[in-house]
Amino acid sequence: MKEKTREKINTIIKKYPEKQSAVMPVMQLLQKENKNHLNLAGMKDAARAAGLGLNRVYGIATYYTLFNTKPVGKYHLQVDTCVPGFLHGADKIVRHLEKKLGISVGETTKDKLFTLSTVQDLASCATGPVIQVNDRYYENMTPAKTDKLIESLKKGKYPESDTSMNIVSKSNILLNDRTQKDCTGLAFYKKNGGYRALKKAMTMEPEQIIDEVKESQIRGRGGAGFPAGMKWSFLPKNDTRPVYLICNADEGEPGTFKDRQIMEFNPHLVVEGIAISARAIKAAKAFIYIRGEFGWIADILEKAIEEAKKDGQLSHVDILVHRGGGSYVCGDETAQIESLEGMRGNPRVKPPFPANFGLYGCPTVVNNVETLANVPYIVEKGAAAYRKIGNPNNHGPKIYGISGHVNKPGVYEYPLGTKLDELLKAAGGVKGTLKGVIVGGLSVAILTAKEAKNLVLDYDSCQKAGTALGSGGIIVINDTVSIPELALRTIEFYHHESCGQCVPCREGSHVITAKLRGLLAGKGKMEDIDLILHLCKNIKGLTLCPTGEAFSVPIQAMITKYRKEFEALVK
Amino acid sequence: MAKTIQIDGKVFPFDGTKTVLEIARENGIYIPSLCYHPRLGPASKCRVCVVEVEGMRSLQTACSLMPTDNMIVQTSTERVIEARKMVVNLLLANGNHNCLYCDMNGDCELQEVVHHLGIEHPAFIVEEKMELDDSAAFILRDPGKCIQCGRCIAGCNDQVVNEVLDFGYRGSHTAVICDSDIPMGQSTCVQCGECVQLCPVGALLEKKNLRKAFPWETRKVRTTCPYCGVGCQLELHVKGEQIIRVRGVEGAQPNLGRLCVKGRYGYDFIYSPDRLTTPLIREKDGNLREAGWDEALDLVANKFKQIISESGPDAIAGVSCARSVNEDSYNMQKLFRSVIGTNNIDHCART
Repeated sequence: MKEKTREKINTIIKKYPEKQSAVMPVMQLLQKENKNHLNLAGMKDAARAAGLGLNRVYGIATYYTLFNTKPVGKYHLQVDTCVPGFLHGADKIVRHLEKKLGISVGETTKDKLFTLSTVQDLASCATGPVIQVNDRYYENMTPAKTDKLIESLKKGKYPESDTSMNIVSKSNILLNDRTQKDCTGLAFYKKNGGYRALKKAMTMEPEQIIDEVKESQIRGRGGAGFPAGMKWSFLPKNDTRPVYLICNADEGEPGTFKDRQIMEFNPHLVVEGIAISARAIKAAKAFIYIRGEFGWIADILEKAIEEAKKDGQLSHVDILVHRGGGSYVCGDETAQIESLEGMRGNPRVKPPFPANFGLYGCPTVVNNVETLANVPYIVEKGAAAYRKIGNPNNHGPKIYGISGHVNKPGVYEYPLGTKLDELLKAAGGVKGTLKGVIVGGLSVAILTAKEAKNLVLDYDSCQKAGTALGSGGIIVINDTVSIPELALRTIEFYHHESCGQCVPCREGSHVITAKLRGLLAGKGKMEDIDLILHLCKNIKGLTLCPTGEAFSVPIQAMITKYRKEFEALVK
Repeated sequence: MAKTIQIDGKVFPFDGTKTVLEIARENGIYIPSLCYHPRLGPASKCRVCVVEVEGMRSLQTACSLMPTDNMIVQTSTERVIEARKMVVNLLLANGNHNCLYCDMNGDCELQEVVHHLGIEHPAFIVEEKMELDDSAAFILRDPGKCIQCGRCIAGCNDQVVNEVLDFGYRGSHTAVICDSDIPMGQSTCVQCGECVQLCPVGALLEKKNLRKAFPWETRKVRTTCPYCGVGCQLELHVKGEQIIRVRGVEGAQPNLGRLCVKGRYGYDFIYSPDRLTTPLIREKDGNLREAGWDEALDLVANKFKQIISESGPDAIAGVSCARSVNEDSYNMQKLFRSVIGTNNIDHCART
C-alpha cells in the first residue's frame, strides 16, 4: 500500500469514535484508488485497518451496491430504471446505450471503457431518465444527450450535466434560490438571516429548545410522521453515556428527492438545524448519514461544515459526513446505526429503541434532513408562528416532490395540508389522463384518479384516504401505464433492496417477483394473483422492519384496485 | 405479588429474565422456532415463533418478546398459524428440502415445524437445487437446505471467534460465505464444527457420517472428551458399537456445546488396528514382545525398587498427562509422594 493511502486511512479512522465505523469509508477509498474496483487485496487492507475479519468485510462489500467486487470499465454507466425512471423513459435510454455500446446490461465494452448497469432509484425522480457515470449524475437524459455524453467520455471528458428542474417555493423556508451565485456559501446564508436561530438557541437551555420543538408539533419528515420533539424527549435523563445525533440523509424512497434539494442548495440550513438540535439533546457528535450516490452533495455539506466551524458556529458539536454504500434499508434508523457501526445494513430488533440503545449502545436520535431543516425556523420564530403554517396536527412547510406524468415535474415547497389538485396544477397539470397517483413515495398504497380527487396532502388526511403521506414523493401515473408492469417494477425494487435478514421480506419479495414476472410473461395462472394477495396480507406487519409493509401495501393496493389488468394477463 | 403472564389461558409467574418463548417452553407449551438457539439468544429473523399479544397490533416474535405484567399471549390462533405457514412455505419454495434422503431426517427443526403445521406439500415452488461445497475435510455444505437463520455465523464469530463464516450478498441472494466467499476447504476454517452443531437443518453435514445412520438409529452416550484437560462434555451418537457422530453437550460445563476439531472429529483412533491391546516388554535384543499385565507390572515395580535402593527415591520423577482426569492425577501424585517417596511430580500442562 502506498504511504499516502495509509495516511489517508489513518485520517479516516481518527474521525470516528470507534475504528470499525471507518471500514466503509476505507473500502470506498481503496476502491476509488484502484480503478473503481474493490479487489481482494483492498478488502484485506480494509479489514486490517478496521480490525475486522475478512468475512465481515466481504459481507459488507457484497451487501452494498456501490462496492464493485469485480472490475468495471473506466466509466460505469448506471441507469435508474425504478418506477419514476421507468415513467420518465429510462428503458429507452437503456436500450439506446445497449445498441450504441454493443453490450448488454451487466457487461463491459471490449476496450474496458464502459460498463452498463441498471440501478434502483437514484433520487432523480423528476429529472429522469438519469445516468450515473461513476459518481456523477447526468439527468434529464434523451437519446441525443446520451450520444453526446458517450462521445465526450470517449475523449476522456465529463460533459456539463443538465440539472434543470422545476422548483416552486410557496413557503420559502426550506428551499433556497439556487439561481443566486454562491447560494450554498456561508456569506449568502448569513446575509439572509442564517445562523440567527443558532445564536438564539445557544442562549436557551437545552430543555427549552426541546419544549419549543415539541410545541411546534412538527412531525418527522422521513416518512412515518412521528412527532420529532417527542422523539427527542425519549432520551434517558441523567445518563452519563454520550448522546449521538444522526441526520438521516439516506434518501432512497422511490419518488423522493426532497432532501437533496436542501442539502445541495441550502447546506447551511441543514448544518444549522443539526447544530441547534445537537444543543437540544446535548450531543457533542453528530453524523450526517448520506447515501453514497450523493457524493458531490456530501462534498458540499463538508464544505459548509468547514465554513461554519471557521465561523465559530460549531463550538459545541462536531459534525461528520458519512457516506453510505448503496442500500435502501439503511434509511431505517436502526439499519442506519448498524451501517454507521461498520456492518451490513440489517435493521435491529426493537426494543431497545435508539433513544436508549443506539449508536455504540448509546442514546441516539435519528432525524430526517427535512425535519432538522425545519428546526431553525421553529427556534427563531417560535412554535406558535410555526403552527400557523399548515393544518391542525400537520404543521409546517413540506417539500413535495412530483414525478411521473405531469408537465412540470419538480419540487414544490408548500404548507402541509395543500390539496393534491393544487399541487398538480402547479406542476403544470397531468400529462394525458390520470390513472392513479402514489402520494407518499413508492411504499404507500396507490390511489385511483377518483380516490385522489380532493385529497388533502397531510399525514392525517392521507391516512384517512387509505394511503400515507410518507415522504411526500408524489408519483403521477397516466393511462398509458400498465399497472401490472408498475407492480413488477415496484416489487423488483424491494426485492433488490431487501436486506435478506428475515424470511417474509427476503423470500416473500422473491416469490412475488417471480410470480409477477410469470404473469407478465403470459405464464401466470389465476391462482398466482390470489397467492400474491395472500402473501401481501400476511407479510404486512410480520417482518423485522417496515420493509415488508413497504412492498406488501402497494402491491396489494395495485392488485385490488386494478385487478382486471392482472387477470387479463392470464391466458 | 409476583408478576404473571398468561399464555394460552394458563397463568405463569415470571421474574423478568426470560423471554415469552423460554417461559412457554419451560412450561410445556410448544412454540416453533428456527433461528433461535438458547446459546445464541433471539435473532427474530425466521418469524416462525410469532404469537399474538393482546393490545399489540402486529404479531410478536416470542423469542425476543419480554413479558410484562398481565400480558396475554396466544400461541396458536388462526392468524398466528396462517403467518407461520406462510413463512415456512416461503422457506420451502426455494432450495432442496429432501427429507427422505437427508441425514438430519428426524433431527431437523424445519422438519419439526413443517410437521407441526401440517404442511404436506410445499404450497409453491420457485427454485430448486444449489451447488454443494464439498471442499472441506469434515464439513459438507448444502446451500439448498440453508434457511439463512444465521446460527452458524453467530457461532463462528461470537462463540468460537474464528471469524470465517458470514452473510454475503443480500436479499434473496443472501448466502453464508467463508472468508471472501471461497470454498470452505480453501478458507481459514479450522473445521471445529461449531456451525454444524448449531445448524437447525441439514445445510451443514459431517462427511464422516454421511448416510451412516438416521438420528433415531443411534443411542446417545454422554462422556468426557479424552484429549485435553478441559474436559469437554461429549454426546456420542452410537450405532451398534460404532460412534457415528460426536456432539458437544449443550448447556453443560465447561464447553457449553462447543468442541474443537479433535474432540468432534478425532475419534477414529478408537477403531485403529494399531492400538495396543496388551503390554509390551522390550527384550535385550531390542524387540518388543507381548506380555501379560502381571508380568509387566512386576517388571516395572522391580525396576523402581532397584533404582530407589541404588540411587534413592529422588532419582525418580513422575510427569502425569494433561488428558488425565483429576482423580487419575491425584492418584499419580499419591503414588509418587507416599509410595515412591519423592516430591518429583509434575504435570505436562504446566511445562
